[in-house]
Amino acid sequence: MNNVDAVQTALGTEHAALWTYGMVSAFLGNQAAAVAEGANAHRARRDTTERWLRDKGATPNPPAAAYLPPSPVSDGPSALAALVAVEQDTCAAWRGVLERTDEAALRTSALDALTTAAVRATRWRKAAGTTPASITMPGVASG
Amino acid sequence: MISESVSRRRVLFAVAAAPLAVACTAEPPTPPPPDPLSALAAQARADAALAKTLTTVPAAAEIAKARETHAGLLQAEVDRERPPLSSTAPPAPTTPPTPPDPLAALRTALDDAVRDASAVVAQLPTYRAGLVGSVAAGCASLREVLA
Repeated sequence: MNNVDAVQTALGTEHAALWTYGMVSAFLGNQAAAVAEGANAHRARRDTTERWLRDKGATPNPPAAAYLPPSPVSDGPSALAALVAVEQDTCAAWRGVLERTDEAALRTSALDALTTAAVRATRWRKAAGTTPASITMPGVASG
Repeated sequence: MISESVSRRRVLFAVAAAPLAVACTAEPPTPPPPDPLSALAAQARADAALAKTLTTVPAAAEIAKARETHAGLLQAEVDRERPPLSSTAPPAPTTPPTPPDPLAALRTALDDAVRDASAVVAQLPTYRAGLVGSVAAGCASLREVLA
């Protein structure tokens, strides 16, 4: 996988995250501000990622019509679980970019995406009462 | 005949020994610069030691455990690239005195850890960038627990 493929994968997780934030918002009315903040962050990241791909002469992969959360979302707790899952997927994809690029600007952007997704995943785990709330090695399958 | 064979042997010996003599008299190579991951591993060990003393902070045990994991992963990468000469473990950090405001001390330590690991990522080869990137993100995650 070269760095363009890795960035396409990361773009795919950003599309999935954006879709998930939209889908769960109905179940997390009491956390509307945090949900909106997460959605905005993923939208901004999606836009910069698409721009990076176009600058490289690549066509950004379009979003899918729908995404399948790891478990069905029907209430607040399952909505939080879907957000944690999608943020952790995002962490893994951006770590993958870090492992495949020497380009300073892309590396800075990938690290920022990995870090901010890890912080949001932690926030949602805290909200869900998951212990430990922290993720020791974000972006690593076991972490 | 005998003298000729001895002289040939001498010539061969001299040819063979010449690079050896050069190798022996050459300047010793300058030691490589310290591994940047070594400092991050030491920082992780110090954070774990600090967190262990802060029994009043609810998340301290979680932070100590995570920072010990970071220290182990970073030290393993340091030792893989530059195997230690002896098998002695790095010295355990001395127990720091309990700071007046434990929570603030832990927050500052984690902020420093995020900043230092993030700064190192820029200068690493790709195969190490992922590891240190995850450590930086892991410290940001721990910091969020204390938020």
